[in-house]
Amino acid sequence: MFRLALLLLLAATPAAAHYGMIIPSDPMLAQEEGRSVDLTISFSHPFEEDGMILERPEAFTVTHDGETAGLLGDLSEATVMDEPGYTLTHELERPGTHVFAMTPVPYWEPAEDAFIQHFTKTYVSAYGDDEGWDAELGLRTEIVPLSKPFGLWAGNVFQGIVHLEGDPVPYAEVEVEFYNVGQQTSAPSELMITQTIKADADGVFTYAAPSAGWWGFAALNTAPETMDQDGEAKAVELGAVIWVHFEAWQ
Amino acid sequence: MIRGTLALIVALALAGPAMAHRVNVFASVQDGKAGEEVVVEAKFSTGRIPALGEVRVEDAGGAVLATYPLEDGAARFPLDRESAAGGLSITVRTDDDHEGYWLLTPADLDPGS
Repeated sequence: MFRLALLLLLAATPAAAHYGMIIPSDPMLAQEEGRSVDLTISFSHPFEEDGMILERPEAFTVTHDGETAGLLGDLSEATVMDEPGYTLTHELERPGTHVFAMTPVPYWEPAEDAFIQHFTKTYVSAYGDDEGWDAELGLRTEIVPLSKPFGLWAGNVFQGIVHLEGDPVPYAEVEVEFYNVGQQTSAPSELMITQTIKADADGVFTYAAPSAGWWGFAALNTAPETMDQDGEAKAVELGAVIWVHFEAWQ
Repeated sequence: MIRGTLALIVALALAGPAMAHRVNVFASVQDGKAGEEVVVEAKFSTGRIPALGEVRVEDAGGAVLATYPLEDGAARFPLDRESAAGGLSITVRTDDDHEGYWLLTPADLDPGS
């Protein structure tokens, strides 16, 4: 009986990966479209649109032209994918690339017997100026873009370098998942909800997105330290997450 | 024959993709020494700054209010709130014939309103 219950529980657990998410209303804001972007911030399984609870993050910032400003106090509580998340409207005062980044509090995941902390970011270009598209923020772990993280056609490749503590991670594992808004597509196999690729010896990975929309890339590493859960030392998974929008070929 | 060939080369060069060196224009209202002024900034999509050019300022009805020289990618002029009430169209044309614009909307003139 216990075994059956366990099997049912496992079967009900989504096969998809966990993702910190920062999704802007527009990855390339033109001057005719206004002066601000709306951001939706969550912790979710994006392919299945299965939300999880996002605690108030440790940090939420925007970086532009080498300057970083804290936005934590500007976050508004919201329900995202039926679970607590946040929204934010942020004015883009100047042209160039504005990088939004979240450091969440570590999340205890009993199913993985580990804590998860996904350092999450997304890049927004303002007013036709893409300067700063390759900015590295200096997060504990981070995907540094080699391709512009916006302005890509569906079918283009996205390339990035996985960094951990500032250094490239050889052969880093990178999970890739589509934000399947409105459940517009289905996967022929559970293996294709989250695709897994590996970086090369220099920490560089490459992925060609098959369709337009938001794609999340999560490079996962294990922290050298542990965290305490019920008196036991548990592993901490550090995720470097970047969200990239691919445009439909017109 | 040579003259014709040169003319063709020039024509082809002029018809070349202007987008390759798009000029991006941005304008904002700032407090200057003599009061409010509009600061115009221009740069090519490559990140380089256009050395010289002209800034044409039009009101919401398309009437040209003034022109100013663009030097080192920038120009500034006093803000006349009366003529700018409906917004300003600010067009930069660089000396090598690249053009871009910024629309300074009424909301841009009164941030926070």
